[in-house]
Amino acid sequence: MTTTGASEAALVFSKLPALAGLDAATLEALARNAAPRHYTAGQVIYLEGEPATSLFLLESGWVKATRMSPDGREQALLFVKPMDIFGDIAVFAGTTYPGTVVALEEVKVWTLESATVLDLVARYPQLALAVIRRLAQRVLYFISLVEDLSLRSVEARLASTLLKNAEAKEGKLFVPRREWTTFDEMATRLGTVRDVLSRALHTLEEEGLLRVERHEIVLLDAEGLAKRGNSK
Amino acid sequence: MSEAHSTDDGLRSSVLQTLAEDTRTAALDLRVGVLNGVVHLGGAAPSQELWRLAETIAARVVGVRGVVNRIEAPGAPSPMRKVNIPMGDKPREER
Repeated sequence: MTTTGASEAALVFSKLPALAGLDAATLEALARNAAPRHYTAGQVIYLEGEPATSLFLLESGWVKATRMSPDGREQALLFVKPMDIFGDIAVFAGTTYPGTVVALEEVKVWTLESATVLDLVARYPQLALAVIRRLAQRVLYFISLVEDLSLRSVEARLASTLLKNAEAKEGKLFVPRREWTTFDEMATRLGTVRDVLSRALHTLEEEGLLRVERHEIVLLDAEGLAKRGNSK
Repeated sequence: MSEAHSTDDGLRSSVLQTLAEDTRTAALDLRVGVLNGVVHLGGAAPSQELWRLAETIAARVVGVRGVVNRIEAPGAPSPMRKVNIPMGDKPREER
């Protein structure tokens, strides 16, 4: 890694919420060992069941992680947005990657080899704490995903997912529909199929809770959606 | 290591070896992952014929329950598409 590359990496890493609070020496050690990689939309970053050779720090672009269910249906595990980390579970568990990750748009990542990550965690206690914190957040996320998929209706899952991803602009609450946010993608994310999702959206629209537009979903009644999101 | 993991490791080696033994796929440098008996293919191929061939070769390996083909090839389906595959109930028996 060149000095310029390491400085660039250190600057990016200092902005990653998962690495917040790390001192300069720890960030520098991470940055010295990181290598940049670029992917175009649709490219595979890693495959389910491949040896976990690297951990990834996502600088720009969104990626999607999916896993094949025992009956052959693709289930979305998570969508990762810029300035987050992925590939960490397999690296620390010492297993193969539990899901497939593909780039949804132009993506830039910084990769750290698994052996290097484990070595750095052993040497830098602050990094070890940051890793534990991140993995604990992942556990909480997957607990809520299991609860969602097993206990709640598609309407409830849709309502809470929309609220979690809402953005506010000029007094309006909305969820932007990115290029890759097709109905199929949204259905995969909610663990259902396109027709059922379409009906759920129509139901919530009829109830006056939201309005589906070409480039965004406008949330008209956040309180009503929150109630729907908490229902079974 | 669990039995499922060691089986998947063995299957992955078999698929990689079978792809390397076929002169048509040997030079493609395909990526292979295996989890719960399902083979996941990645990498790039120069044609749809080779895209399909790699999938067929992987599916023939004994013990493979299904193949998810995410190889990039001109005219082939996007690797990022949603994939649902027909799946055998149990891993095939060794013959």
